[in-house]
Amino acid sequence: MAREFHNLQELRHNASLVTKVFVQRDYTEGTVCRFQAKFPSELDHRIERTLLEETVKTLNSYYVEAEKIGGQSYLEGCLACATAYIVFLCMETRYEKVLKKISGYIHEQNEKIYAPRGLLLTDPVERGMRVLEISVFEDRGSSSSSPSSSMSSAGSSAR
Amino acid sequence: MSFHPEPANRYVPVSAATTFLVGSTTLFFCFTCPWLSEYISFVIPIYVAVIFLFTLANFCMATFMDPGVFPRAEEDEDKEDDFRAPLYKTVEIKGIQVRMKWCSTCRFYRPPRCSHCSVCDNCVEDFDHHCPWVNNCIGRRNYRYFFLFLISLTTHIINVFGFGLVYVLHHRHQLDTPHAAVTMAVMCVAGLFFVPVAGLTGFHMVLVSRGRTTNEQVTGKFRGGVNPFTNGCTRNISHVLCSSQAPRYMGRQRSPLTMDVQPPFLRPALTEAQLEAKVLDNGIQNDRHSTRSKSSLDQTESQSADAEPPPPPPPPKPELRYPGLPRADTEESSLLTEAPPTPSMFKYRPAFNSPGRNHTALTHPNKMIRGESLDSPSPTILQSSRQSSYRSEPSSLDGTTVVGGGMGARRGGGERGEGPGGPGGTAGMISGGMSGYSLTGRSYTSYPSSLVLSAGGSRSSSLRSAQTAHNPLTTLQSEGTTDTSYKSLANQTPRNGSLSYDSLLTPSESPEFESAVHELSPQKPRAPFPSATVTGQHDRVSPSSPLQGYTSPFLSAQIAQQREGQLLQGSATFSSPHRAYLRADSSRAPRHLSSLSSSPRSFEPPISPPPRGLSLGKSPSYIVEVGPQHKPRPAGGGIVLGGGGAGGGPQAPQSTSRPVLANHTTSKPGGGVKKVTGVGGTTYEISV
Repeated sequence: MAREFHNLQELRHNASLVTKVFVQRDYTEGTVCRFQAKFPSELDHRIERTLLEETVKTLNSYYVEAEKIGGQSYLEGCLACATAYIVFLCMETRYEKVLKKISGYIHEQNEKIYAPRGLLLTDPVERGMRVLEISVFEDRGSSSSSPSSSMSSAGSSAR
Repeated sequence: MSFHPEPANRYVPVSAATTFLVGSTTLFFCFTCPWLSEYISFVIPIYVAVIFLFTLANFCMATFMDPGVFPRAEEDEDKEDDFRAPLYKTVEIKGIQVRMKWCSTCRFYRPPRCSHCSVCDNCVEDFDHHCPWVNNCIGRRNYRYFFLFLISLTTHIINVFGFGLVYVLHHRHQLDTPHAAVTMAVMCVAGLFFVPVAGLTGFHMVLVSRGRTTNEQVTGKFRGGVNPFTNGCTRNISHVLCSSQAPRYMGRQRSPLTMDVQPPFLRPALTEAQLEAKVLDNGIQNDRHSTRSKSSLDQTESQSADAEPPPPPPPPKPELRYPGLPRADTEESSLLTEAPPTPSMFKYRPAFNSPGRNHTALTHPNKMIRGESLDSPSPTILQSSRQSSYRSEPSSLDGTTVVGGGMGARRGGGERGEGPGGPGGTAGMISGGMSGYSLTGRSYTSYPSSLVLSAGGSRSSSLRSAQTAHNPLTTLQSEGTTDTSYKSLANQTPRNGSLSYDSLLTPSESPEFESAVHELSPQKPRAPFPSATVTGQHDRVSPSSPLQGYTSPFLSAQIAQQREGQLLQGSATFSSPHRAYLRADSSRAPRHLSSLSSSPRSFEPPISPPPRGLSLGKSPSYIVEVGPQHKPRPAGGGIVLGGGGAGGGPQAPQSTSRPVLANHTTSKPGGGVKKVTGVGGTTYEISV
């Protein structure tokens, strides 16, 4: 039985999805995978700037590592040629390895930082590496617009 | 999402290639190699076999590997990019402006170097070309294999030909034997294929060293210019050959890890400034979605139009700022904000806006539209509009029904744009739009401000939905306006049921169109009416080149559909969603606005929505009089196109004027009815 559900569905039990915020790609250096460090203003009242910027920076560094053209990628290519690419059936490429690391990192960040704030990061690879999707959840029953006293309202709205 | 069964002739080239390759090589091995291994060296067959296997492996990889297909964007993602979003977004790559085009099929702005393949109906990353010999696109993931395939195939052909020649030369007195005959036949095949294959190999070697794709090369994107994607010859080559295999985007397993998000949620402490801002906010934040209108469903998916170098910026113009506008769309997606505003790259109004203007126009119209949607539909407008034709578009605009209708349209229609809510929504929307426009004196002196505020984000998204030009276009049919954008649109049938505004605005994609656009955009924002006779127009339409294809997303789609096959040049029929019904017979160039006939008539092809911003500011006095199908209307004076600006998105009055005027003589004999494109791309018939 495949786990069909989307992460978000888990959330429906507790909170409702309000909107999604997208952090776009930063193309200033070409087509290398980088995300913009610009903080989306919609999240102003949901999370501290530094946290999100830190996350994006770390992701960017992971992508740099994945796309690095160096010894390992070169050897991988030679090996693949030599085996008529059959080796791809057995071995995981460098990029895929890094993507796994990224996926783990995102999950950890979600657990520690984003879910407690009612946010959820989606792995960019699921969106074709075009955007970093941040789902914003709101307490059911609480007013959707940012409360002036966030803590109390969030607390009181409760379940 | 093709609606047609795959044509069998897709497989002919790849089958032929496979047959020739495998067949000839087999014959070579059977007839030539035994003698060669015996009399010359046993290494030869081994060497040839290795090269052949390498060729085959690369051929298989190039054929079967996913080239880097982007998954379609989810609905949530493009909610910001509704029909009002611009057709292009500009990003700066290493100091060079590169445009990203909105893909209406895939619902996102194509990353640089990405292009939509019409054969495969997918956007492909680092799109090179679609190769019929392997029946696959060549993109980021499989370019390396394709390149190696070419090199190895060239080598293989040389081997076969060379060793066959050796055989023949040694057996020139026994050429009547079957072995010799077969060898000669194989040599002929090899010799025949050598020329094109070697040519292609050489071509790709040059491309690799220059860091260009075939698509960029043949479309001349960087001709004479600087290629922002090159890192030097060595790095380019190593990038192709030595980089790690890029990951697949399609068919990935979703992360099995689930996350439990439970309230209460932590919130960061608000700073004083933030609290203050909140108080003053007015909910503007929600409006950030509005500014872009992307509606056009991309019919053209033209590969040449993707990340083109942006057209030269028009001369600076004073930016039109609407007083009421709460703020620039700072929340605009980063793509939009990070680069200088692209001139005229809106879907609806291609060339018309200057950069500054575009931006404002962009924002304004969006906001306008939102505002309009809130207006209650006016019955007259409803009736006059051809409901059926503009079904999909207006619905989204309709404030009252818009959300439902629009959403329905969008979701259901997908690219098709028909929405269940279409008819009702349309009417409502149109009327809403109308009322908005007609009330020049309405609370908003500057469109956007109040409208923006009133509109919610959801509305804009609903608006967008309608845009799938599909419906409107088909219904618009007889409109007389022919626009270059429409023309191109007309030339393309909606693919996969997606009729995009992009296609409508085809002219904008073409290079010449872009230059035209630029010509137009330098104009100050003004009422876009092509003919200065439009009442209420404060500004004269500048006689810039006809604005092609600028229309409000809705209108353009509608019109384009109707117009298919009837596109005429130069008519600046403004198509704005709500305007659709307002669109008068575009073929006429009304001296003054006489009527907007919603009846489909031959449109004047270019539907150039007047610049939104401009129209908003300037055209308050338009009153749209929509008469069912009437072409010439007695100069009723004062046909004001309500909300002409609002709905239409960027409109290029100027452009429209040209075409309108141009068509004037050729337009239907209206006995002096001129067709004018008003702000927002509505076309009015003004009786002369």
